[in-house]
Amino acid sequence: MTDPRLAGGILPETGDIDTAGFWDAAREGRLVARMCATCGAVLHLPRAYCSECGRWEGRWEELPGSGRLHSWTVVHHQVHPAYPVPYTIVLVDVDGVEGVRLLGRIDGECDLRADQPMHVWFEEVAEDVFLPQWRPSVVEG
Amino acid sequence: MVGIGTTDFSRDSGRSVLTLATQACLAAIGDAGMVPGDIDGLVRCDLDTVRHNDLVHSLGMKRLDFFSEVGPGGVAPSAMVGQAVAAILSGQATNVLLFRALNGRSGRRFGISSVGGERIGGSGTYDEFFGPYGLLTPGQVFALIAQRHMSRYGTRPEELAHIPLVCRRRANANPQAQMHDRTLTLDEYLSARMISSPLRLFDFCLETDGACALVVSRAERAKDSPHPPVLIRAVAQGSLPAPQPGMQFPVLMRQDLTTLPARPTAETLYRRAGMGPEDIDVAQFYDCFSITVLLQMEDFGFCAKGEGGSFAASGAIDLGGSLPINTGGGHLSEGYVHGMNHVIEGVRQMRGTSTSQVVGASTCLVTSTPLPPGSALILRAG
Repeated sequence: MTDPRLAGGILPETGDIDTAGFWDAAREGRLVARMCATCGAVLHLPRAYCSECGRWEGRWEELPGSGRLHSWTVVHHQVHPAYPVPYTIVLVDVDGVEGVRLLGRIDGECDLRADQPMHVWFEEVAEDVFLPQWRPSVVEG
Repeated sequence: MVGIGTTDFSRDSGRSVLTLATQACLAAIGDAGMVPGDIDGLVRCDLDTVRHNDLVHSLGMKRLDFFSEVGPGGVAPSAMVGQAVAAILSGQATNVLLFRALNGRSGRRFGISSVGGERIGGSGTYDEFFGPYGLLTPGQVFALIAQRHMSRYGTRPEELAHIPLVCRRRANANPQAQMHDRTLTLDEYLSARMISSPLRLFDFCLETDGACALVVSRAERAKDSPHPPVLIRAVAQGSLPAPQPGMQFPVLMRQDLTTLPARPTAETLYRRAGMGPEDIDVAQFYDCFSITVLLQMEDFGFCAKGEGGSFAASGAIDLGGSLPINTGGGHLSEGYVHGMNHVIEGVRQMRGTSTSQVVGASTCLVTSTPLPPGSALILRAG
């Protein structure tokens, strides 16, 4: 995996009032999504208000580290010096909850198929900054 | 729609954006048989660098009773017409000028990553969930959408190809088009370099320096116009429920990637017009990318969801087909003026002056429905 620290990669803002909890958890190797504390509605991308039940109290729910591949693209045309081509961007629907989809990046060109199992790992891209990343699950046997 | 005007479309205009806007506006005002003093309303696109006061002064307008701004970007053009209609019907203005001007090739280029600085996101942009992964351009967003459509419905590149091929043939007949002199074959399309799979070079729109402008007035005034009257049958805006926040990248979190805001916009538009897809003679689809057109053809009801590929390949969208599209060449081959050239071409079709005129056409659909929301309108020959 290319180290964006060396190439001036783009780092996430991890201190936003609505989304910091996601990055705090990633730093601890946990994958979380924002949910309504009252009715359990998924509030992803993370936000404060639940339009399902009208409440403002949310919680960070720990998710399984597995998912299904929703879509992907192999980028061949370079647009940023820190991201040499080719690389593959994956969109993953996280298992266990409806409506939590996350990105990942895989170096090079991958042989992928829709809905295949994926699992998460955490990439340290700067001191105390971790990106949840996804790679194809290895199927046993 | 009493006046239309454009500049030339090029890769390097050698002029300021204000000069381009002024030239297109003067052309539209002149086309309407008016002078700048007749204009009392202005509508701009939020991504334009030319402001209302810039044009009031540059054109020598005497008053500005109504001004408005619509966005984001390519979502604007049909909604800008809607603003003009609302201003006129509510008595806030009598003759409203709409414009879009940009040096999209020689100035700021949309395909270049706009990401700067060490950290990205926060403050309601949600870009922290996207940029760090190397997702940096609209083309990559639509590539992910295209791959989902191909996986789910079996859509093939050879089918998608028909959209850029048809746009190129229309551009070859349009002397104003940037690609007027360059033909495109299926083999050339398939062998062109991959930009972001499954989208190849010719699935991407052009980059253009240029400007377009239109004058909207009362229907009674249109009867005095030097041109055949072109009436606005209906205009609509729309959003999907749960569209996700942010400017562009969070749209990838929507449950169904293969449906655009074109669908709810179409429902409202057809209801207001008292029409359906079977009543549309010719269409100008917003084509930032080929896949954007394919999805809209489904969402506007010209074929079922998932059948956009076979519909595109059936010949229906070519001249002589049931729904000729993008008859000026569109963004893919005429030029990228952020959807405003689609409105201009719609007016030309209704006047009977297109360089690829659809014989007997009396209704034209114009769409501005990429993402996150959308707008669209139906024009009618008066």
